[in-house]
Amino acid sequence: MRVQLVNIGKKYEGRENFTIRNIDLDIASRDFCVILGPSGCGKSTLLRMIAGLNSITEGDLLFDGKRMNKVEPKDRDIAMVFQSYALYPHMTVYDNMAFSLKMRKERKHVIHERVMEAAEVLQIKEYLYSKPSEISGGQRQRVALGRAMVRKPAVFLMDEPLSNLDAKLREHMRVELVRLHKSLDTTSIYVTHDQTEAMTMATKIVLLNDGIVQQVGAPSTFYEKPANLFVAGFIGSPTMNVFHGEMKNGIFHADGGIFTVEPRKEDADLLRPYEGKRVALGIRSERFIAGEQEKNGITVVVDVIEMLGKEQLLYCKFSNGEECVISEPGYYEYAIDETHHFHFDLEGLHFFDEETTLRIN
Amino acid sequence: MKKIKSERLYLSDRPPLTPIKVVLLAISYVLLLLYVFIVLWPLAQILITSFNGNQEAYIIIGGSYSFSFKHFRYLFEETYFFNWVINTIVIAVATALLTLFVVSFTGYAYSRYRFKGRKASLMAIMLIQIIPTFAGITAFYTLHSILSAIMPWFSRQMFLVLIYAGGGIASNTFILKGYIDSISPELDDAARIDGCGNFQVYRLIIMPIVRPMLAIIALWSFIGPFLDYLMPSILLSDPKSYTLATGLYTLITDQYNMHQPVFAAGGLLTALPIIVLFIALQNQLVSGLSSGAVKG
Repeated sequence: MRVQLVNIGKKYEGRENFTIRNIDLDIASRDFCVILGPSGCGKSTLLRMIAGLNSITEGDLLFDGKRMNKVEPKDRDIAMVFQSYALYPHMTVYDNMAFSLKMRKERKHVIHERVMEAAEVLQIKEYLYSKPSEISGGQRQRVALGRAMVRKPAVFLMDEPLSNLDAKLREHMRVELVRLHKSLDTTSIYVTHDQTEAMTMATKIVLLNDGIVQQVGAPSTFYEKPANLFVAGFIGSPTMNVFHGEMKNGIFHADGGIFTVEPRKEDADLLRPYEGKRVALGIRSERFIAGEQEKNGITVVVDVIEMLGKEQLLYCKFSNGEECVISEPGYYEYAIDETHHFHFDLEGLHFFDEETTLRIN
Repeated sequence: MKKIKSERLYLSDRPPLTPIKVVLLAISYVLLLLYVFIVLWPLAQILITSFNGNQEAYIIIGGSYSFSFKHFRYLFEETYFFNWVINTIVIAVATALLTLFVVSFTGYAYSRYRFKGRKASLMAIMLIQIIPTFAGITAFYTLHSILSAIMPWFSRQMFLVLIYAGGGIASNTFILKGYIDSISPELDDAARIDGCGNFQVYRLIIMPIVRPMLAIIALWSFIGPFLDYLMPSILLSDPKSYTLATGLYTLITDQYNMHQPVFAAGGLLTALPIIVLFIALQNQLVSGLSSGAVKG
């Protein structure tokens, strides 16, 4: 089902300002759309509005072109998985999964078939007759998914469903969720604050901050072409290095005179209107090349080394105390307090207007 | 001997006792035993006296003993004891049902809905609790004369139910609200998406989870009429309409009626319905059902 949000806004009772406003989104059928953002940015509110648990203050919510603003949650053909799983504690796993179908007065053998089918897929057959309090967190997570699955919903909503699991299990469930999404043939909308989840699972990411959509697109564009300074800083680990400076004669001069960069031709053209203006230069840690060069080079002192095996993260300092993170292959040998020379990979530079924080190149 | 002792493993998680701690522990045990004695001694006396055929109008402790049902016989044949039991049970059951019914709604509403005057009315309920029942007697009288003028069939016993339930509803609303507050609202959301309306959310999801608390509320409101002497003694005038507390009281105050051992026997029988209810609700009183609803 295609889900469209047209100029949607939400204002809670007793609040002065809108929590989110002017949200326009178009989620195609069978998309796996991840709504990403730091805590308190309004992403859960948005999901709850789609689910019908929160009212819509302004704008329209369309499912396949039909306006859904005033439709009860149970009639929207949706299923939702909650962060806390929200399993009914007094019912067995089986009854938990069968509950929504029972409410719809589905026939008994149909209910049984559906529950067994979901239990098969999620491998929870052995404890169908246990209470939620008797099974582990990972198993509860599966039951919550199963409860949503048996309804065969047109839209699958998930509100940070993996945040209560340990790291190993989370990694495993990520893959399973994508597999599930493919097999169910539904539209999935997934809310998270974890960029790894967003990058690995989504076919489309919506990045929210302060109730405003910062960027919408495929995961790769988020990494390669962040639309503004916020996106640049939010996506990617370690965080992108951002240097502030000024354009003079087509050359970027970093504050404190720590280095200068001469951008490549395509970027230089776009940077021409910013001559003499403040500009921010972003570069990801892996886009530094080791070795000295005449132009576009930096000289730094290694402060801290984080060895990750495959690569190592060098936390370095410039002469004026400014810091940056550089990642290099794990087999290179570096030591703390050594001075090293690096230069910029010109294709990996991101330029941002400091005033509007928008991307230039 | 010494060798065996050294080989024995010390398994407790607490540090081993020092001599001073041993003495302190002994003292606390002595105090606890004393307390047990204080509680159990009168109960034992009631039990012994009520079956002692040698006791007459006044209880004499340490007198001779012969087993007999004579006091119980007196209770059933010479007094309105049977009426009192029926009266009390009817009032108690009516109070418990009315309280449960209303508290279910108020507790759920105060916990889950935001409405105008929510805080103010909660505060008012709390403040009204401060006024002792006794101070309300004038109000009760006025209310009753108004009610009985409009509805002549409205008996004083019914009025008693209203008074008990009124008090119970106010304090129990708080307790139930607090209990429902501790249940994640995500359960309500999930139920709503699964197809429940407002009333179904309560009946199918919340009520089964708060059942232990409802059982306690039922038990409390049931016990109330058994214990209260003040209100029935003021409101009820006909000895036949007395509750157990007021009825039995006549056996130890009235010069001509004085039968202390019979009072003891009545007191013993009074405990029976409460014990029966307690045993019936025992399974429900085991709480902790709600654990595991959300992340564990």
